[in-house]
Amino acid sequence: MVNPNLDPRGYQPGGVPSRERRFRVTTWARANLFNSWLNAVLTLATLWLIWTVCWPLLKFLLIDAVWDGASRVDCLADRVGRDVGACWPFIGAKLPQLLYGFYPINEQWRVNLTAALGLGLLVPLLMPSLPYKTANAILFFGVYPVVGFVLLVGGMLGLEHVETRLWGGLLVTLVIAVTGIVGSLPLGILLALGRRSEMPAVRGVSIIFIEFWRGVPLITVLFFATYMLPLFLPAGWAINPLLRVMIGVMLFAAAYMAEVVRGGLQAIPRAQYEAAQALGLGYWRMMGLVILPQALKLVIPGIVNNFIGLFKDTTLVLIVAIFDLLGQLRAAFSDPNWAAPTTVATGFAFAGIIYFCFCFGMSRYALWMERRLNPADR
Amino acid sequence: MKRVTLVVALAAMSTFVAGSVTAQTLKTVRDRGALTCGVSQGLPGFSTPDDRGNWTGFDVDFCRAIAAAIFNDPAKVKFSPLSAKDRFTALQTSEIDVLSRNSTWTMLRDTQLGLNFAAVNYYDGQGFMVRKSLKVNSALELNGASICTQTGTTTELNVADYFRANKMKYEVIAFSTADETLKAYDAARCDAFTTDVSQLYAMRLKLAKPDEQMILPEIISKEPLGPVVRQGDDQWFDVVKWTFFAMINAEELGVTSKTVDEALKSTKPDVRRLAGTEGNFGEQIGLTKDWAMRIIRHVGNYGESFERNIGSGSKLNIDRGLNKLWSKGGIQYAPPIR
Amino acid sequence: MSEHGSSPVIRTTRNAVAVELSGVHKWFGEFHALDGVDLKVMRGERVVVCGPSGSGKSTMIRCINGLEMHQRGKVVVDGVELTDNLKRIDEVRREVGMVFQSLNLFPHLTVLENCTLAPIWVRHMPRREAEALAMQYLARVYIPEQAAKYPGQLSGGQQQRVAIARALCMNPKIMLFDEPTSALDPEMVKEVLDTMVELAMDGMTMIVVSHEMGFARQVANRVVFMDFGQIVESAEPEEFFSHPKHERTKLFLSQILH
Repeated sequence: MVNPNLDPRGYQPGGVPSRERRFRVTTWARANLFNSWLNAVLTLATLWLIWTVCWPLLKFLLIDAVWDGASRVDCLADRVGRDVGACWPFIGAKLPQLLYGFYPINEQWRVNLTAALGLGLLVPLLMPSLPYKTANAILFFGVYPVVGFVLLVGGMLGLEHVETRLWGGLLVTLVIAVTGIVGSLPLGILLALGRRSEMPAVRGVSIIFIEFWRGVPLITVLFFATYMLPLFLPAGWAINPLLRVMIGVMLFAAAYMAEVVRGGLQAIPRAQYEAAQALGLGYWRMMGLVILPQALKLVIPGIVNNFIGLFKDTTLVLIVAIFDLLGQLRAAFSDPNWAAPTTVATGFAFAGIIYFCFCFGMSRYALWMERRLNPADR
Repeated sequence: MKRVTLVVALAAMSTFVAGSVTAQTLKTVRDRGALTCGVSQGLPGFSTPDDRGNWTGFDVDFCRAIAAAIFNDPAKVKFSPLSAKDRFTALQTSEIDVLSRNSTWTMLRDTQLGLNFAAVNYYDGQGFMVRKSLKVNSALELNGASICTQTGTTTELNVADYFRANKMKYEVIAFSTADETLKAYDAARCDAFTTDVSQLYAMRLKLAKPDEQMILPEIISKEPLGPVVRQGDDQWFDVVKWTFFAMINAEELGVTSKTVDEALKSTKPDVRRLAGTEGNFGEQIGLTKDWAMRIIRHVGNYGESFERNIGSGSKLNIDRGLNKLWSKGGIQYAPPIR
Repeated sequence: MSEHGSSPVIRTTRNAVAVELSGVHKWFGEFHALDGVDLKVMRGERVVVCGPSGSGKSTMIRCINGLEMHQRGKVVVDGVELTDNLKRIDEVRREVGMVFQSLNLFPHLTVLENCTLAPIWVRHMPRREAEALAMQYLARVYIPEQAAKYPGQLSGGQQQRVAIARALCMNPKIMLFDEPTSALDPEMVKEVLDTMVELAMDGMTMIVVSHEMGFARQVANRVVFMDFGQIVESAEPEEFFSHPKHERTKLFLSQILH
């Protein structure tokens, strides 16, 4: 069958009549996948690789999986009578703990409400086409943290006080990641501007801050914040352990963000600075209206990279006895009631899926934003 | 002038340091209204959260026993799940009041960390798990066997010592994580699996055919596990220590959580002293007269706690072995309350 | 339209001095870019500055709105002396518009937003008013229909005209042009020059660094020749082109005129 693309008649504007397009898949395959010996071998090797990896995965997650059960015996090959893959009842039984940690069951509606409010404010903010951005931003960055804090911690307005030591699972992961992400970007921008400043004091402080926080591993930061800091504070002062960790993570991430933003600032030609100055714009207006919009747009890949890394780095808080999603998962593994050969694999698969959803979502959103922000690029 | 400022600075620093070491743990716990207890991040049978998020386990029970003794309420405990790396740091910096986390009592830990081990609530040791089909009944029949172990632990060293001492040959197949090691054993890549016996029972559940495994009777190392407190607070040390001894003595005297009321009415002198109807031993350590009965009523005696969490009443089904009372052939022995 | 932070010096007469440079020196490290420059430009005057590359023409013009800081001498713009005081510099920049060789439009904003940015944020004009003003100036440079486009979608000549409109939106008293047509394709030079001629005819004080001698002849009150950081010759266009006094001027003219 003649491949329309290789047709000796040449390119035909308007496309080829549909009758001739019927066998497009095989002709495309012949043209692209098998058009030389090397390509044919590579195609076969790739197909084989996909087969050996994807098929067992699919088998484990879906085909051989157990979907119903009340304890470990339901996930044993003897009982079920066949090879057993993922033990999803285990996830089902542990799901409240994986999502909320040890948050009291009858107060979990507060967590749900906080999440719903957050989503409700964040999604419109992330969509450039929707209006009232300033109001939205003020609500999300200014009002929501306070509301979220009150809802989650309680102790006022008739809400029962829930200690942060009881928080765990995805709740903790999101709390730490969101505050880290939201806090590190403005702080990072300020540090980047400070590092490029001509005032020696400002520049010195920025450089010291950035190099210090980049020079120590996050684990050290968490450890120090949790165990060493109380020794230096006067006896009466007690800062909430979760808060210490959140601040440590935020400062740590801000140092990395500062360097990413600085890269973007360096890429903006001097001419832009001069044009803005020539119009009479002061330093902060120039940065906010002319330079930073362009610089940040340039380094969206770097910024989102940092966010994704930060999101996954939150699992390090297990070192300081805070149970994030993975920590809660490992505690769930130890329940003898659910010990079975595939329990551990199921748990990690579940965690992997959750992390993938969040990280991939962030990554795709960033790509979409990039495309949208560059309409002038032809 | 310089000397004065130096002295003032040192004095200021010492108040910071002193502020973090309290010799008043019992008072702090009472004021707080709850005990802070360091546990593991998930160890089957010893400390693990159940489906509803409540901590259960043998070590957890001990913490609840202390809380029952102080507050008459076993629920007044806040659990701090700690990893192996930061468990002692948390205790040293007063993040927790007592560490009940499967910690082995060694001289190094007892003398160089500023900590004291209050008791041994579980005599553990390294053992072997083999398939029943191997038809082996004792570790001494393992000459020439292949043993799966985890690298970087004392288990490899203990195995080497044991086989050398008994002039037997063996082959070590080592992996970096416990789960990997177990999977290799499950896949029949080796004849025996070795780690601490309490772990063996737990890991057995994760195998495809748990009923076809057996745990050999030999214990080839010493791992005395028990609760830990800070040095420098003798009163608190006594509280924790005697909470444990009360549980042992109760089992010896036959007092269970169901027979507490009878014990209160008993006429036997040692039961009366335990129950607090005679003498004021509880008050000597800062608790109430009925401190022991509070423990037994809410948590049970040693045997009850053992069977419920890791013994015949649980999925692990560990044999009491060395942890039997001294009068029954084991080595759990508590000083008398008198 | 309100002016923010007006200078204490009162400017009334039309014949006031717009720009005065006295004994201005500037070094870039070892390189002596400006070597004792004296220049006086009156209100409504159009001055064209020419000279070989590296002669300091751009540096001089950039000293006038503070993009370069002179190290010795005095620069007085519209009665305000330029010193290290940042507030003073901002005041001056509001009244001095600049058009660059490399166009320098803000690529992330539309043409209209480019023009309204400064009036809104510096003069605190309401958005509607600023947009009306911008449209007015865009019409004046004959590209009102491009208002919603991004700079990347316009030709070089169109972009430069937008740059002129953008500068005009601040209603400056003085306009500086730093080789505005040097980077444009030849067919677009004319449209930009025509705009500048119209601007001159409306009475704007202009200092233009350029090699476009036709423009100089047509519009300039004075042509200034610079070489090696000094003003070598300054005369009316007729005088300048037909009877140059200095050797260097003659040499330069012979090179660019044919």
